[in-house]
Amino acid sequence: MISIQEKNNQIEKSIHDKADKLLREDQVDAVIGYSKGTIPMRSCPVVIRNEKDVDALIWNNFCSINLAKYLAPYIPTLKDEEGKNLRVGIISKGCVGRALIHLAAENQIDLENITIIGIPCNGIINRSRILKEFGVEEILKTSIVENELILKGKSFEKKLPIEEYLNELCKKCKVKSPPSLSSLSEICVGELQDISTIEDDFADISEFESKTTEERWAHIEDLLSSCIRCYACREICPMCYCQLCFVDQKLPRWFGKTTELTEIILYHLVRATHLTGRCVACGACSSVCPMGIDLHLITRKLEHIVKDRFDFTSGLDPETPPPMHQFKMDDKQEFMLEEE
Amino acid sequence: MEKKLLLKDQLSEFYNILEETYNFYGPIEEKGNIIFRKIKNPEDMVLDYSNSKIPPKNVVFPQNEILFEYKMNDDKIEIEEPKDIEEKKVIFGIRPCDANSFYLMKSFFKFGEYEDTIFLRKRENTILIGIGCNNPRQTCFCTSVGGHPFNKEDMDIFLVDLGDKYSVESISEKGKTLLEKFSWLIDARPSDIEMANELKVKAENIISTKLDIEITIKILKNNFNHPIWNEISENCIGCGSCAYLCPTCHCFDVIDEEDHYNNSGKRIRIWDTCQFKLYTLETSGHNPRPSKVERCRNRILHKFSYYPSNYGLIGCVGCGRCVNWCPVNNDLRVILNKICEIERKEESIIA
Repeated sequence: MISIQEKNNQIEKSIHDKADKLLREDQVDAVIGYSKGTIPMRSCPVVIRNEKDVDALIWNNFCSINLAKYLAPYIPTLKDEEGKNLRVGIISKGCVGRALIHLAAENQIDLENITIIGIPCNGIINRSRILKEFGVEEILKTSIVENELILKGKSFEKKLPIEEYLNELCKKCKVKSPPSLSSLSEICVGELQDISTIEDDFADISEFESKTTEERWAHIEDLLSSCIRCYACREICPMCYCQLCFVDQKLPRWFGKTTELTEIILYHLVRATHLTGRCVACGACSSVCPMGIDLHLITRKLEHIVKDRFDFTSGLDPETPPPMHQFKMDDKQEFMLEEE
Repeated sequence: MEKKLLLKDQLSEFYNILEETYNFYGPIEEKGNIIFRKIKNPEDMVLDYSNSKIPPKNVVFPQNEILFEYKMNDDKIEIEEPKDIEEKKVIFGIRPCDANSFYLMKSFFKFGEYEDTIFLRKRENTILIGIGCNNPRQTCFCTSVGGHPFNKEDMDIFLVDLGDKYSVESISEKGKTLLEKFSWLIDARPSDIEMANELKVKAENIISTKLDIEITIKILKNNFNHPIWNEISENCIGCGSCAYLCPTCHCFDVIDEEDHYNNSGKRIRIWDTCQFKLYTLETSGHNPRPSKVERCRNRILHKFSYYPSNYGLIGCVGCGRCVNWCPVNNDLRVILNKICEIERKEESIIA
């Protein structure tokens, strides 16, 4: 078995080759990917426009952001002077691919102009967890050597097994590379994932699900009590593309804006409800939360309900709208009517 | 004033005396985050932190703050002022950068014709007992923005962590008066003072980021429409984590919460940030900052151009929180260096 370090290097090398080819042959105007972060355990999303700059693209286990965010809607710098979308190549781990496909299902993006550069993701390291474990000890430098994360501080050097310190979501992820679709223009590092084999078992939230309703509520209350309402979760979510979020409605004001616990909970639960059948399990919300809140637990739980009731998994098929976007005569409705 | 010594063993006693008169705030760990809270037990405090997650500005400028409450009776409206304005507070363990931010915020809240009495009263009623920063983080750059890890001028009382004890020095008149309550503090020995001085030099040397803020301020004056703003804002997602973790950001929104059943309500101010879409959105629907390009530019200009022109100060204390917590690693240090590059590039074109 090749090590995580080696795999990262291989992927990174392939990313350089593919991006170089796409730009040199003028198949795309720009490539969105990750560049090296300026602080430990972060990466920095970047747009590359010239094949000379492709070496800035990196791949490692800190590439936590779902880059599909930058295409729904297209950011201003990815449009031409007339406001038309440029042709974009996008470095896509499994959840980025899923997000793009799902956004297409919701008519938010046109996959015609997008080239998915699929890569087989090997999981994202849980930065919040590590920072919490180290507390006041500052981590100055990190590196990935074989299958370990090496952390250096002023007076310590520690090695952590990467597999153990991945996001729970990533540990149990079933969609490591973008789903394979004949309709897509895609180039790939390694194999794309055959959607017929994807069966999400929600093992990442099994501990949360094993709690009683009361315990789950207490857990959510406890989690959310430290929220500062910076909306990083919403702004990083590729599915949060509303021009005006419900919580920002002012005329009339629908929701409270303070950090009273009830108002925080209302924001998060209503947002999660809006993501029902739409969350692609990228975990970006939890990765970016400055307070280290595991926000994905709520949306993942909802996805599990959707899977059970509607046998639907988001981000696999650009032709099928999500369950909450349609009505079927045989939808289960025992919560309204007693079934025989 | 001569320096005193506070043994760490005496911290409880120190707390007990202050707690009789003041609400005592200090840094504690809460779900893995260092936050300033009202202290019930001095042993809960985590004083060797390098930078709290949320700056202590929220002790005097909370995220939600009642400005007044009202009640309507037939033909009369009763207004009630907030009760906590005159609350006497001590913030213990504040770092020099955060103490400096109190001064910067004060400059804003007392600027112009209308003073913000709520903020100013709260600030006036708050005593800062700070600790020098022995271990600045690698993202710290206070020395580039006029600060120093051992800057004591914004404190009332300044401590230096000497291992098992603190050296204690009163800085302001308030601090001097307060220290009179602690006649039992022993005098610092020359060796303690020497140690404090060594720590000061050591801390200063840890800070490796050096930014040329003077040039940045100059360049910003003439480059409101420079294409660099597209580049700087390109990967910004428009969240408020930089602003909400910033010790100097002070923008707020005002909302009314009505209680229709009781004919009463309250007016609350809540933190706001120029990174949000609704910030300065006008009733007509016009938004002077329609995209993240203008919003990112505003954040930089406010701190490094408007603050210098309005108050002769830099609106950033170099704590590095925004650097550490920006979801997309849009590093302020990198942004400021890019702005400096504008001039260098243009010079090279002319040359």
